[in-house]
Amino acid sequence: MSERVAQGFSIRREWGRTTHLLGTIGPGVIWIVLFLVLPSLYLISVAFMTNGPYGLPQMPLTLQSFRELAGFGFLGWSPGNLYTLLRSFWQTLIATGLVILIAYPLAYYISTQPSNRRALMLLIVVVPSWTNQVIRTFGWMNLMAPDTPLSDTAAVFGLIPPQLGLFPSSFAVIVGLVYNFLPFMVLPLYAAFEKMDHDIVAAANDLYATPVRVFRHAVLPQTLPGLMAGTVLVSIPAFGMYVIPELLGGGKSMMLGNLVARQFAEASNWPLGAAAALIMILATLGGLLILRRIGRKLGGGKEVVL
Amino acid sequence: MKRSRLNRSLQVFWYLALLFLYAPLAIVVTFSFNSTNTYAKFSGFSLRWYEKLLENEIILNAFYNSAVLAITSSALATVFGTALGYGIYRYRHLQLGWLIWIIYLPIVMPDIVYGISQMTFFVGVHQLTGFLQPDLGTMIIAHISFQVPFVALLIYSRLVQMDPLLFEATQDLYARPWQRAWYFVLPTLRAALISAFFLSFTLSIDDFVISFFTAGPESTTLPIFIWSAIKKGITPEINAISTLLIVTVFTAAAISFAIQRARPAQSRSSQ
Amino acid sequence: MDAPAPDTTSERRGRAAREASSIELRGVRKTFGGSVVALDHVDLEIRAGEFFTLLGPSGCGKTTLLRILAGLEQPDGGELEIGGRDITGTAAHRRSVNTVFQSYALFPHLSVRDNIAFGLRMRGIDRAECNRRVDEMAEFIKIGQLTERRIEQLSGGQQQRVALARALINEPDVLLLDEPLSALDAGLRGELQVELLQTQKRLGMTFVFVTHDQKEAMVMSDRIAVLNEGRIQQVDSPDAVYERPRNRFVARFMGHTNLFACEPDGEGRLRTGLGTLSGCREPGGGCILVRPETLDLQPAGREGENRFPARVVERLYRGAFAEYQVECGDERVTVIASNRGQALFRSGDEATLAVDPDNLVSLED
Repeated sequence: MSERVAQGFSIRREWGRTTHLLGTIGPGVIWIVLFLVLPSLYLISVAFMTNGPYGLPQMPLTLQSFRELAGFGFLGWSPGNLYTLLRSFWQTLIATGLVILIAYPLAYYISTQPSNRRALMLLIVVVPSWTNQVIRTFGWMNLMAPDTPLSDTAAVFGLIPPQLGLFPSSFAVIVGLVYNFLPFMVLPLYAAFEKMDHDIVAAANDLYATPVRVFRHAVLPQTLPGLMAGTVLVSIPAFGMYVIPELLGGGKSMMLGNLVARQFAEASNWPLGAAAALIMILATLGGLLILRRIGRKLGGGKEVVL
Repeated sequence: MKRSRLNRSLQVFWYLALLFLYAPLAIVVTFSFNSTNTYAKFSGFSLRWYEKLLENEIILNAFYNSAVLAITSSALATVFGTALGYGIYRYRHLQLGWLIWIIYLPIVMPDIVYGISQMTFFVGVHQLTGFLQPDLGTMIIAHISFQVPFVALLIYSRLVQMDPLLFEATQDLYARPWQRAWYFVLPTLRAALISAFFLSFTLSIDDFVISFFTAGPESTTLPIFIWSAIKKGITPEINAISTLLIVTVFTAAAISFAIQRARPAQSRSSQ
Repeated sequence: MDAPAPDTTSERRGRAAREASSIELRGVRKTFGGSVVALDHVDLEIRAGEFFTLLGPSGCGKTTLLRILAGLEQPDGGELEIGGRDITGTAAHRRSVNTVFQSYALFPHLSVRDNIAFGLRMRGIDRAECNRRVDEMAEFIKIGQLTERRIEQLSGGQQQRVALARALINEPDVLLLDEPLSALDAGLRGELQVELLQTQKRLGMTFVFVTHDQKEAMVMSDRIAVLNEGRIQQVDSPDAVYERPRNRFVARFMGHTNLFACEPDGEGRLRTGLGTLSGCREPGGGCILVRPETLDLQPAGREGENRFPARVVERLYRGAFAEYQVECGDERVTVIASNRGQALFRSGDEATLAVDPDNLVSLED
């Protein structure tokens, strides 16, 4: 009897808990599912549709867009799209590498400062990235325009013809990418440095003596989780970057993001654009997998959030 | 000896990095006060570009749109995101691992994919039902979706720092669920809520790509205006608008930093 | 207006005494994650107005039991009554039970006053009345001058008092205390033990106290329940639990032990590793306990009943007493001798071990 009463209570409690759960996480989750997950699924399905008049997608389902993406058009095969894809990869790769090289000393330097100054220093690094991407890129256009000190210096060394600016070029795109994503690497690396056991580094300093070996054996293993997280946070959005190559790069520095955007604007081929976007979505999911794995590792396998 | 040399070179590197980080912004701000229409040379201080802004109705309208977009989306995202972060915290012992995919999706997804997926979806829904015509409303919807995860993570991280017994203490002291939310959870999260709002606000002001693809013809925001001005051929007013946006973001950053600083400082001084 | 202010403290004290509630648990079960058994069919009766202690090592289920009483945890089965009313399914905020948490769980965003008033406010008592009662309670618990402070400005002992005041002000049927003194240093701890005990006696309220410290339990409690692995091992007064433990676990947990295997020789005597003991009250077989302080170490050569030759292996001098490790027969025995200025034995000395048969306790297992 009392067991049944207790069960009745527990059912009522379960019910109250379920409504509370839905009341708290419900709106946010439904919002994201409705306005982000569903649109993404729709976009994926567009990639498998036929290109209709005005670029709008139509039935029947086909793999035509993927063939086009691989370069098979009406005029036979052309490598343009594959070049764009490859260029996206290598520009991302170089930019990520440079970001790592710059972020390591910065993150380490901040972590060695007195604790009351660190928060401010981090803020100083991060704030520029909070201003609008277009404005930041516009700033670089100003800096690298013809007749500016930077361009003149480059011309003196014969790197560019005089009277020309440093942009549009792949160099400018990479500078823009490095500038844009530097904070995304500094923050996780700083977090790793903050947790680092400095005794190990000191011991390694005694034992290995050369800085390279100290870094490889003592610093790198301890900051690896931060490095991994930073790499994911930098490389995935860099791979899909649109604004920077559009403004700082010419046709020869185009990246996948520009290819996608072009299909929805001038070229008007939604299925082709969606197919290119699908490649980015796959890269995103891959990145999420890595991020989640790192999160598990850091959180001892139980925490839900990184 | 060796240490201090390393430290000195790190310090030099730090200042070089600051130069790198702030040069593009500094040049925009500087040339917004330039008296002539050139960005290669500074030829004298003037406020003429700011005066021109005030006369330009398109720019004023874009400014209005940006403000409405940022404030509305941030307010709604703070509400949804706080509830979400709180829910994840309260039910963290349940199997909610799948939620993390949904939360990280907007954070990691490239802007361009995000923007076009919203655009194709809104256009599709509009064709079918007549709802969701691209304008300020669709922009607000799109912004909320990427702000909510950031708010949720921020609130969650604040909650996990708290003594979980405090929740139980409220129950033990006769607080009904709504009283617990009103008298305990909200006051405790006050600083985090303000930070969350400012974070959402800066995210919204910072965004261009998503706005660009979800905007309608009547809902040009400042970044979209700047973009098309750059594309059409640079006009000097861009420097002035950009400067205003930069100042806005820096002010928001300073406020949220001051709020976070204020709490420990207050307790130190009163002891 | 001229009417004397009612002496509400004494009035309330009387009311609390009248309303002091008994607690009854029948067959309470709780498992975590489907496999970890925290409580295994616990039956327990706590009398009205009693200072009752749940004692056991960490992980024994004592905190789970307390949380079930508070309503913060729901039992998988069994029944729970407070003051004769079944409250098995009642939510925590509807129970007239308050808790002093181990970490105090004071609200950092509220002042001391608002912390103490929290429970009253939640029950809709107006601010003026809350203020009056907070002042009175703060006076009673000796934190009258601290009410406007912030929580982080208080010392550990002051926080402990605020936590106590915050719970007591609600005049609950039962007050639950989860290791409330464990975060304090030894001196303050002893002081607050006494105060807590006095408070409980003055109010006549039922206190359920959780601790892993057997000394603290013995000082404070009217009765102690010793728990291990989710089961109640023994419920008794402090002296009974110490002097007449029911089993090895209770014996070991409550203090130093000498445990011997023994068997009756059929003539009213017990054969042990020390030798043959005579004059035992209840000569049963199995395991017997002798507390080290009931043994007597005498100079070598004394003979007689229940005296055995022994050799001192080790001596630990502890000031008020000395602790000896002694070899006697086949056993190694601990002897604690209080220091009355008599000659101390040294390691290697021969001696005589005297056993008082009245102090032998036979254990169930």
